[in-house]
Amino acid sequence: MAKKLGLDLARPSQQHLLGYILLAPAVLLVAAIIIYPLIISVDLSLQNVKMPRIGAARKPVTLGNYEKLFTSPEFWMACWVTLKLVVTVTLGSLIAGISTALLVNNKFRGRKIARVAMALPWAVPEVIAVVIFAWIFDSSFGFMSWLFIKLGLTDQMIKWISTPGAAFWALSITMIWKGFPFVSIMTLAGLQSIPADFYAAAKVDGASAVQRFRWITLPLLMPILGVTLVLVTLWVFRDFSIIKVLTGGGPLKSTQTLSIMTYDQAFGFFKFGYASAVGVITLIICVIASMLMLGRSPKTL
Amino acid sequence: MKHLVKKATTAALVASMLCTTAMTAVQAETLRFISWQTDDGGMGDWWRDAIATFEAAHEGVKIEFTKVERASYADSMTTLFAGGQPPHIVHLASFEYQTFAENGWMENLDPWLKKDGIDMTGWAGQDTCRWNDETACIMLLYFGFMMAYNPDILAEAGVEVPTNYEEFLAAARATTKDLNGDGITDQFGTGHETSGGAGQYLTELLNYVLSAGAYWTNKEGKVTIDTPEMIEGLTRYKTIIKEGLSPVDMSAGDVRKLFADGKIAMRLDGPWLYGTMKKGAAADRLKIAFPALTPPVGGSSNVLGMASEISDEQKQLVWDFIKVVMSPDFQRKYATVAGNTPPSPKADVSGVEESVPHFPLLIKTQKAAAAAGVDRIPTGLEIQYGEFGKMVQEEVQRMLIQDLDPADVVKTIQAKAEAIQAG
Repeated sequence: MAKKLGLDLARPSQQHLLGYILLAPAVLLVAAIIIYPLIISVDLSLQNVKMPRIGAARKPVTLGNYEKLFTSPEFWMACWVTLKLVVTVTLGSLIAGISTALLVNNKFRGRKIARVAMALPWAVPEVIAVVIFAWIFDSSFGFMSWLFIKLGLTDQMIKWISTPGAAFWALSITMIWKGFPFVSIMTLAGLQSIPADFYAAAKVDGASAVQRFRWITLPLLMPILGVTLVLVTLWVFRDFSIIKVLTGGGPLKSTQTLSIMTYDQAFGFFKFGYASAVGVITLIICVIASMLMLGRSPKTL
Repeated sequence: MKHLVKKATTAALVASMLCTTAMTAVQAETLRFISWQTDDGGMGDWWRDAIATFEAAHEGVKIEFTKVERASYADSMTTLFAGGQPPHIVHLASFEYQTFAENGWMENLDPWLKKDGIDMTGWAGQDTCRWNDETACIMLLYFGFMMAYNPDILAEAGVEVPTNYEEFLAAARATTKDLNGDGITDQFGTGHETSGGAGQYLTELLNYVLSAGAYWTNKEGKVTIDTPEMIEGLTRYKTIIKEGLSPVDMSAGDVRKLFADGKIAMRLDGPWLYGTMKKGAAADRLKIAFPALTPPVGGSSNVLGMASEISDEQKQLVWDFIKVVMSPDFQRKYATVAGNTPPSPKADVSGVEESVPHFPLLIKTQKAAAAAGVDRIPTGLEIQYGEFGKMVQEEVQRMLIQDLDPADVVKTIQAKAEAIQAG
C-alpha cells in the first residue's frame, strides 16, 4: 500500500512519515470531538442564531454578539464573579490540600484511614455533594445556621442562599470541600518523591520545621503544584453543576459565572449565538490563564 | 433427489425468513415519546393506559415512553430538536412550546383536525395552542389553583379557613411558630418556592399579583406592570416573605413535602398537590378549599403535539395517539385516574367525586380562573417568557434583599419588560 503511494517507510528520509501515519487516528479523533465543536461554537457566535439546527442554512456573519457582550454589564459582572471564585476556591483548595497532605505524610496511628478520609470528597459525585451542602446551608432548617445559633454567633437563621455575600461563601466552601482532595493527592505524591536525606541534612544544619518547609518542601513541590494550580483553576473556571444546583447563579447574579451565563443564554433564553460568544470568550480567557501559569512555572523551579 | 429436497427445503426456509423480516420491517415502528410525567402517580398511569390502548389498536407499533426530569426538560428537548432527533410525540409545558413552534419544529395540526372533523370549540385553554394562526398543539390541562390547609394547625392558632388576602395574612401570621423555643421557626403559615427556576417563582408570586388585580400584560400584549395594583401585589408578596411566614430557599417540591408532613398551615397549589398530600405524615388530616387569594392562579399547563420533520406514516401514527388521548373515554380517565380537570367539553365527569373527593372544587377553581382570563404565560411575552421570568425573579429578589419600595420596583420591571419585548 505504502509502495503504491510511492512511500518507502524504510528509507531514513521518509521514516518520519510513519510517525504521522500512526498519529493520524488519534489526531482525527481529537479533531472530531474537540476541534469540530469548537468550530461550530465560533461559527455560531458570529451569527444571530436563537435556536441552532444541524444542517440549517447559515445566517449572515456578524460581530453583533461580541459587541453586545462587551457592552453588557452582566458579562463584566460574570467575569468579576468568575475571577473572585477562581481566586477564592483555588487558594482555599491549595491551602487545605497542602495542609492535609503534610498531615497525612507524617507517620501516626490511623494514617491509612486519614488518607482515605482525605480523598473521600473527591470520590463523591458533584451533584450529591451539592445536595448535602444545600441541606447544610438551608436557610430554614440547615445545620450551619443551627450551629451558628447554638454558638451564639447569631440569633436567627442565616439566609445563606438568598443573600449575595453569604451565597458566594456557601458556594466557595462547597467547591473547596470538593476540590481540595485533588490538591492533597497530588501534593502527597510530590512529598513522597522528596528524598529524606534532604531533611536529615537540613536538620543537621539546624533548620527549623518552617525553614525546612520553605527551603526544601515548597521548591521541590513547585513542579507538581504548578500543574495542580492550572488544573484546579480550569476546574473552577468551567464548573457548572455545583453552582447550578446550589445557587443557580443567584441571588442577583452574585454567583453567576461565565459558564452559568452561557447556559442561561442558551437554554434559558434560547440565544445560542450570544451564548456561543460567551463560551468563546471563556475559552480564550482559560487558554491565556493556562499559558501564563504554565509559562511561569519553569522559572519558579 | 435427496439433495434436491434438501436444497428446496433450505430455499423455502430462507424465503420464509426473508418474508417475515420484510413484513416486520414494514409493520415494526417505534414512536419516541419523552415526558417528565412518567413516574407521577396519577399522570404516569394515565399515559401508560393511553399507550396500551394505542398499541393494542396498532399491531407492531410500540411507543417508547422515556422520562426526562422537569428541571432539565427544556434543555433536553432543545438538544434533541437541534440535533434533528426530536421525539415523534412532543410533550411540552405550555410556556415553552412557542419557541419550538416558532422554529417550525411543530406540525400544524389544523389539517389533521379538519380531516377527522374534530371540533375544538370549548376545549379549555386551546387558544394558547394557536401560534402564528396555526394549531401547534393540543392543550392537555387547564387548571385552577386550590388551597390546601391543615385544619389542626389553624384550629390550634384559633383561626378560620381564610377566604381573602387579609384573612390569609392573619392566619399565616398566627400559625408561623417556633414550637420548641430554640430560635428556629418549625411551623410556617404558608410556603412558596423562593429558589430554583423563574417559571415556578413567577407562578407562586402570581397568587399575590392576581389577588391585587394586577397582571404582567393586557390582552393586546402591552406591558402593564407599573400600576397601583401591581405595587399592591408585590407589597403582599414582600410582606409574606419578609415576615418569615414562608420557609425560604426551598424548591416547590420541598415546600409540598413540608406541607404534607404537617409543617405548613396553608399551601396554594395546582391539582398535582393532592398526590404529594396523600403521601405525607399528615395525609389524613389535610383538607382542600377554594383559594383565599382570588382569582385563582391557573391556566394552561402542558401540551401535546407532533414533530414536523417525521415521515407521513409516523405523523399518522402520532395523530392516532393524540386522538386516543383526546377521546371522551380518556378525557374522563384524566379525571378519574390522573385526578385532573380534563379540557374536553365532552368529557363525562359525572361521579368522579367518588374517587376524587375534591373534584367539584377543582372544576370550580378551573372555571374561576378561566372566567377571569387567567394564564401564567403573559400575552406578548410568550417567546421571551424565560428571559422575562428571570428578570422579574431577580428584581423581586432585589426588592426583598435590599428592602426596596415596590413602587420603585414596578417601574424597573416595567422598563426592563418593555426592553425584552422590543428585543
